[in-house]
Amino acid sequence: MKKYFPIIKSVVLYTVLTGATVLMSFPLFWMISSSLKTVQETNSPGVVWIPQNPTLEAYTAIFQNQDFLRSYFNSVFYVTLALVGTLISIAAVAYAFSRVDWPGRNVVFFLMLSTMMIPPQALIVPQYVFFNKLDWIGTFNPLIVPGYFAGGAAMIFLLRQAMSQIPKELDESAFVDGANHIQIWWEIILPLVKAPMATIATFLFVGLWNSLLTPLMYLQTVDLYTLPVYVSTLYNINQTVQPWPTIMTAAVLTTAPLIVVFFFAQRYILESVVVSGLKG
Amino acid sequence: MPQNPYLNVLVTVALTVLFIIVSSYGLGYLARYIARLFGSSPKKQENTFAGYFFAAPWIVGFLIFVVIPLGFSLYWSFTNYRIASGEPTVWVGAQNYQTILFEDDSFRASLINTLYLTVIGLPLQIGVALFLAVLLNQQLRGERIFRMSFYLPVILGFNTAVLLCWRLMLNTGTGIINQIIRSISTAFPPFNWLNRVVIYIQEVSAAFFLGLNTGKYNLLLKVIEAGFPAENRVPLWVQSPLWTKMSVVLLMVWGCGAMMLIFLAGLNNIPKELHEAAEVDGANPWQRFWKISFPLLTPYIFYNLVVGMISALQIFEPIFVLYRDNQPIVSSTISMVYYLWQKSFSHFEIGYGSAISWIVLVIILIITVIQFRLQDRWVTYDIY
Repeated sequence: MKKYFPIIKSVVLYTVLTGATVLMSFPLFWMISSSLKTVQETNSPGVVWIPQNPTLEAYTAIFQNQDFLRSYFNSVFYVTLALVGTLISIAAVAYAFSRVDWPGRNVVFFLMLSTMMIPPQALIVPQYVFFNKLDWIGTFNPLIVPGYFAGGAAMIFLLRQAMSQIPKELDESAFVDGANHIQIWWEIILPLVKAPMATIATFLFVGLWNSLLTPLMYLQTVDLYTLPVYVSTLYNINQTVQPWPTIMTAAVLTTAPLIVVFFFAQRYILESVVVSGLKG
Repeated sequence: MPQNPYLNVLVTVALTVLFIIVSSYGLGYLARYIARLFGSSPKKQENTFAGYFFAAPWIVGFLIFVVIPLGFSLYWSFTNYRIASGEPTVWVGAQNYQTILFEDDSFRASLINTLYLTVIGLPLQIGVALFLAVLLNQQLRGERIFRMSFYLPVILGFNTAVLLCWRLMLNTGTGIINQIIRSISTAFPPFNWLNRVVIYIQEVSAAFFLGLNTGKYNLLLKVIEAGFPAENRVPLWVQSPLWTKMSVVLLMVWGCGAMMLIFLAGLNNIPKELHEAAEVDGANPWQRFWKISFPLLTPYIFYNLVVGMISALQIFEPIFVLYRDNQPIVSSTISMVYYLWQKSFSHFEIGYGSAISWIVLVIILIITVIQFRLQDRWVTYDIY
């Protein structure tokens, strides 16, 4: 009897894990399934697991919806622009904290770590007033420019840890060969931390792509809306029948880039969350 | 500035980059100059320049986007400053703080809702995360796929699109979740009982917390008087003030993947020999979990608890997407950050909003300090 225990154990384990996986991914399945339904099917009292006659009506309609396409472009545009600047500035600051020995480094580093305790939302009110003074309300600027100043202390920390592990002799021999700090940073150090950079880029991408609060505050006209803001306007309590297939089609197209990015970056993410998470 | 919004941003970004480069060189030269005054060696002067040059984006950004805003908001929190009103700004002393802490019902509601999420939501979330982590820790084949699928909700997390899908699923009448509950209840009577017990407990506790919000317990009495839920009852999710917080808890449990990864790291750090020795002594897996793994996981549980509490204060997107257009029930689930947003940007009461920001900041600092103080007492760090 005892020799069957391992088999029973793994059967039970796999059953429970598969059940949990089904539950966890159910919203995704339901999103895709609903996007292929008709409005009647999504609002019917009976359960329609998989639509009888899957229809791509909602997809063809949404590709002709100018507002949706524009908001998609806006999201891609603003995320790209913000991502590039944030990533490069974080890489520069992490270099200063890991590869250069300068007076005041520990003090500044400690300050940087302590900003992790400040919730970003505690700053939105004064920042709004500041951007209002600059006449930046109703532009993308407030969503992009702050990132260029190495936004994200946790990300700097993560990259600094990775950069600290590179042997010191590498830069020293480069110095002897006459390279300066900028060359060492760009040509020697950065190529060695590609994997952590990819992780950070993924985290930044996810954060920017999902961001709702700041776009909601600063983008005040529909022609500037990013995807999360535009998609939230599709659901409207004043409609008697919600156009669920349309909303879910927009949802599928909004989440698709996240899933693709996660699929390619999961190896790095699943390992680094632990590292960065515990030091916070 | 060009009229085209995209061109406008590109120009601003170019100017920003220019500004950062100029300020980096400026800060670098300044630091080198000071180092020279102190008579540092040329090598040290060079390092001082490079250090401040590379760290400048963060230092400058810290001043512009953190220190100065915090200073201004501290000042405004003592005034009645309002954007868009013509009236002059008046110093009102601590009046904003006094109003928020002692008279403001919405603020009180946001505090108590956070308490609910901490007392009822977090244990559920941490429990599920720990459960999944223990299962994944059994060195199974295909572990990576399971791990991915449990972490995916964290990535999708609070995206509006995904939240709207939850709204569709949580619909009381036609939503898939209640449909499934209904059909299992009919097919399998014990589940029906379980469902009703859960509904009863949840409604009584939610009514109690809503009572804390207002100081009146009519609703709690009504729920208790109504007695045990009828056979055909289903959860009301996004429809009733009694259920709004539970829907948020559901979302929290769905997104437990980040906590799960932290537990997995913790489980990995437990020396195998401990389990082997206990097994030799005849301890079964259940005993081994509670006597070995669990005590050694307490630092991780504690960490997740603190992080979870802080993020409960900051929940914004789920409330916005699920409840924004249903004003009567928003107050039953409002979080501190949602309230801050509502107050500051629908009425543009900057002074009042600044005071709320400072209170949120101080609460988070207090939680963090308590974490550092208590962790030595509660938590087993050393094994040997």
